[in-house]
Amino acid sequence: MLTAQNIEKVRDGRHVLHNVSLSIERGTVVSLIGPSGSGKTTLLNILAGVDAPDSGMVLLEDKTVSAPSPRVAMVFQQLFLWPHLTLRENITLANRASDKEVQELIDALGMGAFIDRYPNQTSLGQRQRAALARAVALRPEYLLLDEVTSALDIEQIEAVAALLGKLKDQGTGIFTITHLINFSKRISDQIIFMDAGEVLEQGGKELISNPQHPRTKEFISFF
Amino acid sequence: MSVFDILVNYHATLLGGLWVTLGLFGLSSLVGIAFGLFLGAMGARFNAIGTMVKIFSFALASIPLLVILFWFYYPFQTILHISLDPFTTALIALALVNTAAIAELIRGVLVEFPRQFIVVAQMSGLSPRQVFLKVQFPMVFRQVLPSFLTTQVFILQATLFASLIAVPEILRVAQNINAVIYKPIEIYSSLAVFFILTLAPINYLAYVLKRRFTRDFSEY
Repeated sequence: MLTAQNIEKVRDGRHVLHNVSLSIERGTVVSLIGPSGSGKTTLLNILAGVDAPDSGMVLLEDKTVSAPSPRVAMVFQQLFLWPHLTLRENITLANRASDKEVQELIDALGMGAFIDRYPNQTSLGQRQRAALARAVALRPEYLLLDEVTSALDIEQIEAVAALLGKLKDQGTGIFTITHLINFSKRISDQIIFMDAGEVLEQGGKELISNPQHPRTKEFISFF
Repeated sequence: MSVFDILVNYHATLLGGLWVTLGLFGLSSLVGIAFGLFLGAMGARFNAIGTMVKIFSFALASIPLLVILFWFYYPFQTILHISLDPFTTALIALALVNTAAIAELIRGVLVEFPRQFIVVAQMSGLSPRQVFLKVQFPMVFRQVLPSFLTTQVFILQATLFASLIAVPEILRVAQNINAVIYKPIEIYSSLAVFFILTLAPINYLAYVLKRRFTRDFSEY
């Protein structure tokens, strides 16, 4: 289990995260929704060991997470594909998956036509899928995703949803930030709503159809 | 006397000047690269050194090269009660300017290198050596190379200033030949052609590399 306990983070005198606690079990999908600037990405960075909390701790099973590790892979919102490598090389530079698994991944995400291009020769949607494939090819125990579907069309979002479902069935714990409420409802076992650095509500899929907190209701009413 | 005649009759003298020019350029480059890389890397790692590199680079970029050259030729040697030959004096001045330029170039690229590219590599389970060799070095090298080449083109051009303190480099040699045969059009045109043939390919390479490699990393 990947657990965040009482996470606090202050940046430039502002409370970015306040007493945030949550857990992600292997073989489940947890979605994090909330308005922009609510601290979602900061939380993801802390869960991945990229950023350190001011107080509180992140535990991977029973060990404190203090640095990035291959057990917890993350896809950043800005992707950070290595620009001197083709998309295929990005995926295979450090992958733990077999050649067959990598090819299946490429096929599953519909990347065959552009897999040997460099990042600057591809669209944002193509790069998003490559960054996701790079993280998945590491065969992590936990996969943290920061809006990986923001530049994808409906068909591609379906492909991503199918892949995440497969990974979940294989035992990967998935934590994803998304602004796509229907996508979140479809793939998630648990949904968390955050605003102004605080977790205001968490629950199952019913959080979307029947939110309890007034701020969650207000936010969801826009969709 | 045609350009061809000049090249044939004075080829030994011209080649002598060319060797001095290339020697001055080569040594200035070597010293500049060695010290510039070291200072740039240290400046990126330690803030205090980084500040000194910035000041050093800013100050030297603000002083015309001729002033630096003459300062090392006269006051520097007078203050220290030493006597350096013109070649060594020019070498010190050019190497110093080159060091400052390369140090600031390296420092800037390293400081601005987005940490997340390294984080992703660490997250991928690459060892620190692999992270450096497979991710950081290739990216920094490509980012630095075009500006580095442009700087070296400037240093090669700047070797001509050494003629003003009597270094027998190619311009000085050309001036000496002109003093004997007085064919300024042919001589200086030959010199221009020589520099076009030498520097245009390097400039073009820098342009191509800049278009190909120098990118805003944030787009990936």
